[in-house]
Amino acid sequence: MKGLRIALPAGTLFDGACDLLRSAGVARIDAAVFDRSLRVEESGNALIKVRPADVPVYVEMGAADCGVVGKDVLWESARDCYELVDLRFGACRLVLAAPEGAALARGDWSGSLRVATKYPESARRFFAGMAVTVELIRLNGAVELAPAAGLADAVLDITATGQTLRANHLVEIAEAGSSTARLIANQAALKTRSDSVNTLAAALRRAADAARGAEGAA
Amino acid sequence: MAAVVGDPRSTPALGRAGGFSDLLPGAAGRRRDLIEAFVGAFESWGYGLLGTPLVEPLDTVAAGIGAARQSQLFRFMDADGALLTLVGERTVSVARVVATQLQREQLPLRLCYAGPVLRNAPLLDGRRREAIQAGCELIGHAGLTADAECIALAAAALERGGVRGVQIDVGHADFIPGVLESAGLDADAQRIVLGALARRDLVAVEAALERTDVRDAERRLLLAFPTLRGGREILDTAAIGLGGDRPRGAIEQLMQLWELIEEHGVTQGVHLDLGAVRDWDYYTGPTFEVFSLDSGFPLGSGGRYDSLLERFGFPARATGFVLHVDRCNDVLTRRDGEPQRPAALRVAWSSGQRATALSLAKRLRERGVAAVCDLDLTDPRATDTPVQACSDGVHWIARRARGQGSIDAAVDALTGPAG
Repeated sequence: MKGLRIALPAGTLFDGACDLLRSAGVARIDAAVFDRSLRVEESGNALIKVRPADVPVYVEMGAADCGVVGKDVLWESARDCYELVDLRFGACRLVLAAPEGAALARGDWSGSLRVATKYPESARRFFAGMAVTVELIRLNGAVELAPAAGLADAVLDITATGQTLRANHLVEIAEAGSSTARLIANQAALKTRSDSVNTLAAALRRAADAARGAEGAA
Repeated sequence: MAAVVGDPRSTPALGRAGGFSDLLPGAAGRRRDLIEAFVGAFESWGYGLLGTPLVEPLDTVAAGIGAARQSQLFRFMDADGALLTLVGERTVSVARVVATQLQREQLPLRLCYAGPVLRNAPLLDGRRREAIQAGCELIGHAGLTADAECIALAAAALERGGVRGVQIDVGHADFIPGVLESAGLDADAQRIVLGALARRDLVAVEAALERTDVRDAERRLLLAFPTLRGGREILDTAAIGLGGDRPRGAIEQLMQLWELIEEHGVTQGVHLDLGAVRDWDYYTGPTFEVFSLDSGFPLGSGGRYDSLLERFGFPARATGFVLHVDRCNDVLTRRDGEPQRPAALRVAWSSGQRATALSLAKRLRERGVAAVCDLDLTDPRATDTPVQACSDGVHWIARRARGQGSIDAAVDALTGPAG
């Protein structure tokens, strides 16, 4: 597969994305090569490192043919891309959590609820149709602080290990979704560069399955 | 210090609505050329040009298109309180005209259109809110020859517009729903899988199929679906082990369609794509999309929509397609760069010779050469003007050679064949 432009997400998924591309034989790169430049040419493909929320933007507009991005980013994005492969790394869950001892934590959903979140679209979908009055407060980070600071009754946030929730005395009440990294593709690239895109998808799928198998065996 | 002209901080009245764009001379001309080339091709195939309004009643549009696309319309109310929309596509308008004013015409009816469509897209997302669409509708014919004609005409129109190297992917709207049905999926599971396919979420398709009991042949097809593309041979591959009349019927139609397209001589650049994910509630038969390596979005799309006209009380089969003029213009810009502002020949005049200059300019225009006549008298010492009317005749510089003579001689020299 040659001539593809692949967008990679900076942040928590970045090392995993580089590892997977390397083990799949797509590109001999490690995260450090992006220290000098956010665009790297490798094995005939161009790799760019962008903010996670920008990966679907680059891919939808055709500025990148493919991208690696967390499903949690796709939940919030209205961008129209093909979601080709579950790459299985970067697992996390979107959960509703409330302070220990709060009525909500005991399963009492009565009254109106103020929920702080970085994921307003996912929150709207989660609460849609529930017999509960919710006011969403969009924050840009450190959502787990909101209940203790009196800003919100609960948070809808991503957790991988639950450690941050516990450290802030929050308990999980419900799961709103689970996420892993995904390979996405531009609709035209899937048709005009289909051989390259399908080869990339197959290689990453094999590498992701192998990594998962090794994890299970260890 | 130079003044900052049009600085939006100081002159808010000079702002432009987000998502809309201006085209400057050059770019606007090339877009016009594209529209003319497309409509010219349509008309040369016997498609009559239809003019439909930019505004339609919301009820009319709602009868034609799905809820998802309705939410992307600009809506407003007129003085009588009627809910109106700016059209987001023009096939529904054509269907309305056919059902209300052309219902007694002999079928099949060949119609075409070109005009702006609007989309109430969120700001800052990089997508156009206003775009020009040019398209054709072939109404009142159920046969595959009509579908083949549309594909061939789309290819011919793009060729005439200079949009080369395109790829046309032909699919069938009944194939995937048919595979799901013959796989024995219950209505709920079918709905989930089709919903995931419409969202282009193949991971969800895979997960849904894992949860349900699907026969192997169908599972293999559904999981391999982005790779079900190629020439005529993929139809045989796909047909192996496939039960059910619906998917087999779709494959059979595609086999026939391929032969019909071959007779048009346009199979170059045409692929069959069984995994084409299109609006299943709108299309009822063969569908196609046009792609280019230079665009992340399709340049055009089309297909058979046998149930639309029925919703307007005029049950007639129909097929058609639309070309996205602005995306085609983008492809040309990416390949050839920004078009140059067209140059006009400047005709100058010295004292007392304005009438000669005007008559020369008129003659040039009649011969198809754009000419600008100077508004002011030229300094007699100026020698840089390409054409100048003087008391001793017309002086011109054409193809690096200078000449002098009558108006007729000047017109011949300036418009005659080069070399």
